[in-house]
Amino acid sequence: MIESATTSGRPTSSADRAWLLIAAGLAAIPLLYPLWTDPYSLSVVRDALIFGLFALSLDFLWGKAGILSFGHAAFFGVGAYGTAIVAPMIGGDAAGLVGCLAGIAMAVGIAVVVGYFLIFGGVRGAYFTIVTLALSLVAQHIVIGWARVTGGDAGLIGTPPPGIGFGEWSFVLADPVSQHYLVLAISLAAVLAIWAACRGQYGRVLAAIRGNELRARTLGHNTGLHLLVVLMLSAGLAALAGGLYAMVSGFVAPDLIGLLLSTEVIVWVAIGGRGTLIGPFIGAFVVLRLQQEVSSFNPRLWPLLIGAFFVAMVFLFPNGLLPLFERAWERMRGVARKRALAP
Amino acid sequence: MDQAIPLLLNILTLTSILMLVGLGLAIIFGLMNVINMAHGEFVTIGAFTLSALQGIGGSYWLALLVAPLIGGAFGFLLERGIVRHLYARPLDTILATWGISLILQQVLQLLFGSGPQEVFTPIHGTISILGSSYPAYRLVLIAFAMTLLAITFLVFRKTRFGLDLRAVIQDRDMAEALGIDTRRIFAIAFAIGAALAAVAGVLIAPLTNVLAQMGANYLARSFFVVIVGGAGSIGGIAAGSAVVGGLETVLNYQVPVTVSQAIVLVAAVVLVRFRPRGLVPA
Repeated sequence: MIESATTSGRPTSSADRAWLLIAAGLAAIPLLYPLWTDPYSLSVVRDALIFGLFALSLDFLWGKAGILSFGHAAFFGVGAYGTAIVAPMIGGDAAGLVGCLAGIAMAVGIAVVVGYFLIFGGVRGAYFTIVTLALSLVAQHIVIGWARVTGGDAGLIGTPPPGIGFGEWSFVLADPVSQHYLVLAISLAAVLAIWAACRGQYGRVLAAIRGNELRARTLGHNTGLHLLVVLMLSAGLAALAGGLYAMVSGFVAPDLIGLLLSTEVIVWVAIGGRGTLIGPFIGAFVVLRLQQEVSSFNPRLWPLLIGAFFVAMVFLFPNGLLPLFERAWERMRGVARKRALAP
Repeated sequence: MDQAIPLLLNILTLTSILMLVGLGLAIIFGLMNVINMAHGEFVTIGAFTLSALQGIGGSYWLALLVAPLIGGAFGFLLERGIVRHLYARPLDTILATWGISLILQQVLQLLFGSGPQEVFTPIHGTISILGSSYPAYRLVLIAFAMTLLAITFLVFRKTRFGLDLRAVIQDRDMAEALGIDTRRIFAIAFAIGAALAAVAGVLIAPLTNVLAQMGANYLARSFFVVIVGGAGSIGGIAAGSAVVGGLETVLNYQVPVTVSQAIVLVAAVVLVRFRPRGLVPA
C-alpha cells in the first residue's frame, strides 16, 4: 500500500510521459485532418473515430477489468436505436442529444440488470462471454422483428444531428467538420478520463481483480461492485458512441446491433492492443480501412478473414499485435545499442 | 383438451432437438471446461448434408446415417487441430472456435449460395392422437431423438467408455493418475457431441429454414440449456431442455418469437443468480 501511495502520488513517470506524448501525437492527426480533406473522406474518418470510441468502451471492460463481452454491440445498438427512436418524439434542436441520453440510460439500465444477476451470481470468464453473446443475439432479433418501432431490416432514417437550442437561439452541428470535432473532443475526453482513473490506485485495484479476483477480494476489495461499475461505464460509453453514430450519420440499421459488429469490435481492440486505450482507435482505423478494400473486392471475403484472424490471434499473438511491435522495437534498440557500444 | 396435446407435442419436439444439441455442448463443457462456439455449425452441417444428399437423389434415411459421420469427423478434426492446444485458456478457445464458426459459415455460403437450401420431408400426413391430429414426421422426430438419447444415456452409464468419461468429468487429474487416457476421451467425446448435433440438424431441417447462419440460434439456445440445467449430467440437460423448450413453445403462442427468446434469456440470467450451477448440479 505504501508503495502504491508513493507511486500514484508522483506527478508523472517516464512511461506516463511517453503515453501522453503518443496520445497527443496521434490526436494531432484527426485534429488537423479537416484542413486538407474533402467532406466525404472526413465523414469516413469521423465514423471510424466513433467506432474507435466504441472499441475504447470494450477495452475498458476487457483490457482493464479482464471481462470479455461477446455482445458489446448490444450496448452500441441500444444507444443508436434509443437515439433514433426517442429523438423524433422530442422534436426541437436538442432532440438528438436528448435521444442520445435516453439511449445511454437504457444501455446502462440493461448493464445494471444483466451485470447484477451475472456478476453477483458468480458468473465469470467464459460463461459471462456466452451470456453477453446471447444478449447481442436477442437484441438483433428484437430489432429485426419489432419493425413497427425499429423499422425492421430497413432501419430508421432521419435522426436529427447533435445540437442545443433555447427559444430563438440555437446551435446545431450539421456539417461534417463540426461533427468531426465533436466526436474528436468526446473521444479525447473519454481516453484521458479512463487513463487518469486507471493511472493511480483505481487502476491497481482493477489490475488486481484482473489478475486474481479471489486474492483481491481477500484483501478487502468489493470486487463484484467494481466489476459492475466498470460494466455500467463501459455500456454507457458504448451507447454514447452508438448515439453519436445515429446523430451524425442520420440513420440506424440492424447491423449496428448484431453479432458481427460485436465480433469486429473485439478484433479492433485485439489488433490495437488490449488495455492500451489508444490502441483500440488505431485498431478501428486500420481494420475499417482494410475492410473497405476487401469488401470492394468481394463482400463475402470479410467474415472469412475475421474468422481466420481469430484463429491466428489465439495461436500466434494471444496478447494482440501491439506487444509484437514492442518486441520488434526493443530488438531494434538492442541492436542499435550494441552497435554504439562496439569499438 | 384438444389444444393441450399438440402443445405438449410441440414442446417435446423442441425439447428433444435442444437435448441433442445441448448434450454435445454440455459434455464438452463438463469435460474440458471449454465452450465450443462452433457447436451450432454442427447442426448446420447436418442440415446441409441432408440437403446435398437429397439434391443428388439420396434418401432422408441415408442422410440420417451420413450426417453424424461427417459431423463427428469435423468435431474430431476441430478437437485435434484447435481445441486440444487451448485447454488451459478457456477464453482463447472461445475466440478460436468462434473464428472457425465464421469460416465454416462463409465456406458453406460460398459452396451452396446464401439462399435457403431445399429439403424434403420424408413422411407426410398426420396421425390422430386422442382426437387431435398431429404431423407424423414430428412424432417420428420425437421418437428417434428420444431413442438416441436413451442410447447415449446407456453408453454413459453402462459402458467402460462411459465410466471413464464420468471419471474425467468428476476429476481430471485423478482420472489421469488412474491410467485413463484423458486426451483420447476428449477427442471421442468431442466427436460424439458433434455427431449428435449433426443428427439434430437433419431432424430439424424439414421444419425450418436451412441457412448457413442457422447454427447461431441453436448455439444460443443450447447455452441456455446448459446454463439452466447445469453442465456435466444428462439429467441436467434434460431439465434445461424441458425448461427452455417448454417456455419458448408456450410463449410462442402468446407473443412474437423474438419476444419469447428475449424472455427465455432473461429467465436464464435470473436463474443463474439463484442457482449458479444449474437446476441439476453435476
